[in-house]
Amino acid sequence: MLLQILIQGTLLSGLYALIAVGFTLIFSVGRVLNLAYGAYLMLGGYVFFFISQQLGAPAVVGVLCAAVLGCAAGLLKYRLIARPLGDNPVAVEISTLILAVVVQSGIVLIYGDSSKILLPIVPGVIRVAGTSVTYNLVVATLASWAILIALYLFVQRTHIGRAMRAVSMDRKGAAISGVDPDVINMITWGISGLLGAVAGVFFASYTQLSPSMWVGPLIISVAVVIVGGIGSIIGTLIVAHIVGFMEVIVIAVIAPELRGVFTMGLIIGVLILRPRGLFGREEL
Amino acid sequence: MGLRWYHFALWGGFILFMYLLPEFVSRGTLRTIIFANFLAVFAISWDVISGRTGYVSFGHPFLIGIGAYTTAILTKRFGVPVELSIPLAVLATMAGGLIVLIPALRIRGSYFALVTLAFMELMYQLVQVIRPDLTGGTRGMSGIQTLTRGAENGFYMSFTLLAVLSVGTWLLMRTQFGTALSAISMDEDSVAGSGLNTVKLKTAAFLVSAFVAGVGGAFYVHYLGSLAPRALFDINFVFTIIVAALIGGASTIVGPIIGAFFLTFLLEYLRPWLPGAERYFIYGGVALLLYMYQPKGFYAIIMAGWSRLRARMARRKPGARA
Repeated sequence: MLLQILIQGTLLSGLYALIAVGFTLIFSVGRVLNLAYGAYLMLGGYVFFFISQQLGAPAVVGVLCAAVLGCAAGLLKYRLIARPLGDNPVAVEISTLILAVVVQSGIVLIYGDSSKILLPIVPGVIRVAGTSVTYNLVVATLASWAILIALYLFVQRTHIGRAMRAVSMDRKGAAISGVDPDVINMITWGISGLLGAVAGVFFASYTQLSPSMWVGPLIISVAVVIVGGIGSIIGTLIVAHIVGFMEVIVIAVIAPELRGVFTMGLIIGVLILRPRGLFGREEL
Repeated sequence: MGLRWYHFALWGGFILFMYLLPEFVSRGTLRTIIFANFLAVFAISWDVISGRTGYVSFGHPFLIGIGAYTTAILTKRFGVPVELSIPLAVLATMAGGLIVLIPALRIRGSYFALVTLAFMELMYQLVQVIRPDLTGGTRGMSGIQTLTRGAENGFYMSFTLLAVLSVGTWLLMRTQFGTALSAISMDEDSVAGSGLNTVKLKTAAFLVSAFVAGVGGAFYVHYLGSLAPRALFDINFVFTIIVAALIGGASTIVGPIIGAFFLTFLLEYLRPWLPGAERYFIYGGVALLLYMYQPKGFYAIIMAGWSRLRARMARRKPGARA
């Protein structure tokens, strides 16, 4: 039982960390909530479905196409929505919410209302400690760890990464030091879209494809950002594990229907008691 | 308060026009208007918190849901008469408004929007799990007592509700209280610095908003006769409420009414041409374009057009009136 929770929790948390990190990135650099973030996941999932299941291309091609399209979607969203409304974060939030609903109805238009089962990216099941673990989820977790480590190194070590951190701390200061916040913001939106689409492929293969699949991951991302606090990849990772393990424990010990209740409770509790999050910077 | 005779003339004309409407339009149109009326009530309620004070709520169905569920459970499961259950539902919603107020005392902006989204999601999951024998669980409830029969009566009820609530809120927002709320959205610290108690102001605003949401939700469920958690605590429902208020014109009373009618009729008039899922795609697209074009909504567009017209008239008749 304990081992089972440990394995399931680790795998699920890895996936959640991957989902949340793109959302965190936009929130800490651009200071806006991209409520259409869930739409990247949906886009990624459906693109993968189209390329590798309907056209029959190899899975790697599907993931790559999803990533490229997600990145393009992020860039477009920045140019067409976030930048024109730049000085008004609330307007960006509302228009991204509208956009998410538009994307959802676009998906319904193409693929219909019913949900689709995505074949596992990597087939096969392994039995560990009396619980069956799909290779698919193992691969998803490993990939998300690899992506997170790469992202961490990118943000910490490279010039662009440092510029991103600078913009997230002080936009004006960064501009004075010769960093163009506009370019950095655009890069961030692109990366966020890419991460979202890739996360969407794994998330869709973990659950299933449906036009309303964007709400769940959005709520998880929101939870991770709020509880973790802005501007912290490590915080994202830790909180994704708190949320993931909490869900697995609730499912195993209390009742599967209550899995979301504790996540919501955590968001509300942390926001009221410690509004800047558990690992965030001193600001709000 | 800056009230002028023409304010009342416009309201009176609008209300009279609407009351005469059942004589001229078909029942189908009336049913569409009924939904527009309820949507307008919800949008006005949202606007009192979010349009005025700038505390954008993404979880307004949380409040509407409390009102709807309270009266539905009381009448259906406990046989409480409607005359008693609706006031109780409104009181319960106002208590819910105080719950939403708690985070608003500490956090602002995006964080507040997120916590309200969490409230809605929490409510959605809880009503399905806790006492499904009362709430009807995932399937919701049906066979709830309805107050009216037929399109005409439903129309009169829903419009009377809208008229009373909108005129009431409009008068309230023209007092100093309304001005102070608008000031909070501009700079809350300055309002506090001017010696006003922002906690009290926000409490009052949330109570007013919850009152309107509770009345709207309770009457809505007694009009429909059924309720389903997935339709109620749905992000698409949030979207419709927010967009109605915004593309009509936030922090006005007329704006949410215009927006609600526009959205409802847009969706309805698209039906003959686009029967399928395309409808929602176009509908969302129109909303997005309108919002990007003028975030202040139709109200601002109309007002700008009106003042341009007046300027042109004044130029044509020199010396008539400046």
